[in-house]
Amino acid sequence: MADLAVWNSLEAFAPQLVLVAFALLMPALDYLFKDKRLLALAALAPLLGVGAAVLSWTLLGIGDPPVSQLPLVQVDMFSGLFMLVFLAVGVIVVLASPEFIRNDRNQGEYYALVLLAITGMTVVAESTDLIALFVGLEIAGISSFALAGFRKSENRSSEAATKYFIVGGFSSALTLFAISLFYGAAGTTEIAQLGPRLEAMFVQFEGTDSLVLLATVLFLAGIGFKIAMVPFHMWAPDVYEGAPSPISGLLAAASKKMGFAALFKVLLLGIIVTKTDWDIAVAILAIATMTVGNLVAVSQTSIKRMLAYSSIAQAGYILIVLPVGTEYALAGGLFHILTHAFMKSGAFMVVAALGAVAIGERIEDFKGLSRRSPFLAFAMTIFLLSLAGIPPLAGFASKFVLFSSAVYGSIDPGPSWLIWLAVAGVLNSALSLYYYSRVIKCMYMDKGPEGPIRAPPMMTVAIVFALVMTFVLGLWFDSVLELCMRAAAAFPGLPPGN
Amino acid sequence: MFENIPVISLIILLPLIGAVATFFLGRYERYAKHVALAFSAAAFVLSLCVVYAFVTVPDASSPGYHDGYQFYEDYTWIETIGVHYTVGLDGISLPMFVLSTLLCMLSVIFSWDTTLRPKAYFGLILVLEVGVLGVFTALDYFMFYVFWEVVLIPMYFMIGVWGGPRKDYAAIKFFIYTHIASLAMLIAIMAMYFEAGLNSFSMERIALVSPGFDTGIQVAIFGALFFGFGVKLPMVPFHTWLPDAHVEAPTAGSVLLAGLLLKMGGYGLIRVAIPSLPAGAQELAWLMAVIAVVSIVYGAMLCLAQKDLKKMVAYSSISHMGFVLLGYATLTQLGVTAGVFQMFAHGLVTAVLFMMCGVIQHKCGTRMIPSLGGLAKKMPIAATLLTAGFLASLGLPGLVSFAAEFLIFASMFDTWGLWLLVPIAAVAVTAAYYLWALQRSVFGPLTDKIDTSHLHDVSWYEGLPVAVLIALIALFGVFPMLIFSRIDAAVELVLRVFGGG
Repeated sequence: MADLAVWNSLEAFAPQLVLVAFALLMPALDYLFKDKRLLALAALAPLLGVGAAVLSWTLLGIGDPPVSQLPLVQVDMFSGLFMLVFLAVGVIVVLASPEFIRNDRNQGEYYALVLLAITGMTVVAESTDLIALFVGLEIAGISSFALAGFRKSENRSSEAATKYFIVGGFSSALTLFAISLFYGAAGTTEIAQLGPRLEAMFVQFEGTDSLVLLATVLFLAGIGFKIAMVPFHMWAPDVYEGAPSPISGLLAAASKKMGFAALFKVLLLGIIVTKTDWDIAVAILAIATMTVGNLVAVSQTSIKRMLAYSSIAQAGYILIVLPVGTEYALAGGLFHILTHAFMKSGAFMVVAALGAVAIGERIEDFKGLSRRSPFLAFAMTIFLLSLAGIPPLAGFASKFVLFSSAVYGSIDPGPSWLIWLAVAGVLNSALSLYYYSRVIKCMYMDKGPEGPIRAPPMMTVAIVFALVMTFVLGLWFDSVLELCMRAAAAFPGLPPGN
Repeated sequence: MFENIPVISLIILLPLIGAVATFFLGRYERYAKHVALAFSAAAFVLSLCVVYAFVTVPDASSPGYHDGYQFYEDYTWIETIGVHYTVGLDGISLPMFVLSTLLCMLSVIFSWDTTLRPKAYFGLILVLEVGVLGVFTALDYFMFYVFWEVVLIPMYFMIGVWGGPRKDYAAIKFFIYTHIASLAMLIAIMAMYFEAGLNSFSMERIALVSPGFDTGIQVAIFGALFFGFGVKLPMVPFHTWLPDAHVEAPTAGSVLLAGLLLKMGGYGLIRVAIPSLPAGAQELAWLMAVIAVVSIVYGAMLCLAQKDLKKMVAYSSISHMGFVLLGYATLTQLGVTAGVFQMFAHGLVTAVLFMMCGVIQHKCGTRMIPSLGGLAKKMPIAATLLTAGFLASLGLPGLVSFAAEFLIFASMFDTWGLWLLVPIAAVAVTAAYYLWALQRSVFGPLTDKIDTSHLHDVSWYEGLPVAVLIALIALFGVFPMLIFSRIDAAVELVLRVFGGG
């Protein structure tokens, strides 16, 4: 039966189909529902449903070995893990949204765009081909531009959207140019084939090719914008500050991770054979990214800008994966992406919750919060301590794996300078503790305005979810790390590294 | 006695349950101290039972015994990277363990009149107790590090919320300074884990292979560990966080900081660094000795110059913890044993001193020595207790510090001969600053710089913990072997890697 084959080939696209269907449904539901909070529930349904499906796939080990019926995408542990991150962030963002945008128009479009953005991200996670990768990046990118400018009457929001759009467009162009050069050099857009083709070419021409190097640089720059890597990070604080807080959370916790999915696929799967050409450069960029992010975060007065710079720094930590280039390092990177998704989106949701009850976004506005809302102050403290890497929280566990992979990388496959990545990461963690603890100090030690405040119920659910995950992933990360290791095993060119 | 009961886990769990209970008391916050006392006292009583059941030279086949450790527990925690939940006690950790439960309980009693956010205050003391107990019993590096860091957070809040005028600065400085040190330790732990290549964070298993590392690697790892533990100790020149933290911390915070947190550094050196990396320790023994002597002398000199009674006591901790390091630096059976004993002694003595500083601050409204004077006339009990504490701290024979310091000097003479005169001179300075401070604050004519007409003597909740501690100081001063023999047996096992010690 032919239609069974069609069904089988659709399997890999099933998550996207469900998400897109609901996204298209949203504007219609907007007309139907008087109570706009129902829209959020309607948007939660596909996220939770697909999330549960992907979770059961991953736990059952479907996709290990990889399943692929279509030329452009494949379901494997790597894609499953990233999809879980995107969907979980999606759940948190949607839960936090209704109270935040309750007075805004076009709420149906808002949820539709969130769903579409997540669809694009899942395409990137599943792609095995540079073209599919690019299409995914664009779907997610265009939806996020519109989301950043959702409050179009607000100057800050419009400015954020414009900036994000221009930078995003530029980075897309760079990425596309890089893809075309890869195609020119290797004669294929299939990521897994890049390596063997390039290797064959290097043998033929006795040496690496400057064309490939140029393509790598352009690709790094293009994706560098997406993940806010120094020196392509300037847009991030402005956009995060201007966008609605839940959307800032989406950008920091999910959109950025999509960039990493693309980067891992191309650099660690596609062109790992040229690693010695780019590893020192990426290592320097990683150290620059974490250091600049943390240093600038110290002087911020706006909490959203501070979190923006902190997520630039976190991107720097994750970049350690590339120069180390072992399975263990990649597992650590995936793990950190997962934990960062919860702690960073959680922190943004606390900001959103306070925004919903008309408390400002300056760090000073957090003064005396522990008296006004012990729950929000406690949650924020946990998220910040986790971001700083204090045990037994999730951020510590994943940083531990990440940094230790650099230590081991310096011992086993070498080169020995990899140890400096761990040292830089550790010193930066200490630096970051300074500005995180300043916020904690404001909440607990300074006197501020009185009067209890109550977080909206759905936001509370979102924050509790992130909070529970921050503890669970810190204390019982055995099975999660195991999943990350299996996902990393899908990259055949990497030495084990532990 | 505890054949089938995971008694150590139980003792660690008690304050944790207590902390959660205290945090969630809601409107009944006036009962926070009662709840905290109940749980910390339960932990203390259980730990006394552990002392009773502890055997100095155990039979290798007895239940709960595992290669030198008693009440041993071992569960898999994170299999992927080989993390276990492993706890156990030997003669080195036992004194620290009991000291922790004792000082936490006494701190709760001492803070009986705390009215500012009592739920959080007493809850944090209990969280701190969990962390400290975990550090002193952990036999897995990952777990050790987790508990090590858990200790920082309650202390950060205690200084920051209940502290003195410059609490913001002191709290952040304490947090960052000690966190950087922890991170150096973390990198060292990772290096040991990978160099050993056992896919296990077990301290015992790594210690079996790590003495075989190249000397260069051992020196590098030992250096990082030494820095990590030394900052906590604290050693000159990384001591500057300590006076700030102490001066600003509330009294119970200071007691726990000096009594327990500093001991974590000394404990880490002897539990982890020295036995696991013997070649590194031997190469860097000269550095440990130099830093130890500098800390002893410099700390004592700084004390002479202090006007604030509490700051003086804080600096004296630097001097006294230098003795611990000096004992370790000899790398001899006697020196290391005496060093561990000194940690225990200092824990008791410094708790008395900080509590008495708290009493004076509380009753007189100031701790500035020039503003005090003749307090003995108005506060005879306080004066007696303070004098006893000072005498204990300056090493009066018959009290616990004398036994410890004397043995450290004896071992130093065996190792380095007449260099002994340098730290001995510092002891004279120690006696000088204590007696001078005593003269100016407690004796002499009654001060007219503060209003002394309503001066009360110590309250019951302040006097009781101090009296208990002084009794213990005298007890272990007269019968040091009660503890010394247990430490000695454990140190002998630990120093096996040095070939007979």
